[in-house]
Amino acid sequence: MDLTVLDRCFELEIHADAFDLREASAWLEKTGIATKVPADQIFRLDMCLNEALANIIEHGGPAAKSSPVNLTFLPQTNEATLFVTDSGNAFNPLDATPKAVPDSLADAEPGGLGLGLIKTFTDAVSYKYDQGRNCLGFIVRWSSSPDDSRAS
Amino acid sequence: MPIDFEDSNDELRHIRLSGRLDIQGTGEIEAKFAALAASSKRRVIVDLSEVSFLASIGIRAIITNAKAQMQRGGRMVLFVGENASVAKTIDATGIYTLVPTFSALVDAERATTA
Repeated sequence: MDLTVLDRCFELEIHADAFDLREASAWLEKTGIATKVPADQIFRLDMCLNEALANIIEHGGPAAKSSPVNLTFLPQTNEATLFVTDSGNAFNPLDATPKAVPDSLADAEPGGLGLGLIKTFTDAVSYKYDQGRNCLGFIVRWSSSPDDSRAS
Repeated sequence: MPIDFEDSNDELRHIRLSGRLDIQGTGEIEAKFAALAASSKRRVIVDLSEVSFLASIGIRAIITNAKAQMQRGGRMVLFVGENASVAKTIDATGIYTLVPTFSALVDAERATTA
């Protein structure tokens, strides 16, 4: 057990825009590597981060853009959690159904794929709405043996 | 710009994308991607083998251009090569059922004529 990885919390405050999203991905990668989170697990969290922030940017409304988005990264042994907290419109992804793949390209309407990606790339998702803030949590888990990792 | 192309013949165009296709990256290539995909070439292979990250916004751009190509009577397919992360994302969204996706270039080229 690596005690240096336990009970550590990393935070970043960003704005809901494309530039800061790129910065947030770089921060997540750098912090994940520094805390020995496997690369494939960082990738899974990066996907969730991108889809969550894209949703905030597109659907969060004015409050989402005028208030900071707070990221909290909690790496632990064989598990890591990323919380994304924003002041946009309340949205619980746990209540939403991922968009079904249409039967043909002719029927395809762009968009609506992010929720499915989040559900595919996480082991657990949490959500709460408190004091006007959405707090979305993404958890990824892995075995000590890289061969046993779910997403590998 | 992380997008370029090569015309193999009068009908087949390869469009190569690279880097991160997140909101920022997709925004940077969106207009050129649409212009290249809308050319007179009716068979298009989009090479994603050098894409380091494919978010849903990038998939949205692919679907939009594949659909437009189909409506012009053409066909677009995807080539991912050995890119496991992009292949995983495409698999998770199921878009390979809409835009045929291949790991071998020869298969992608063959599929454009199917």
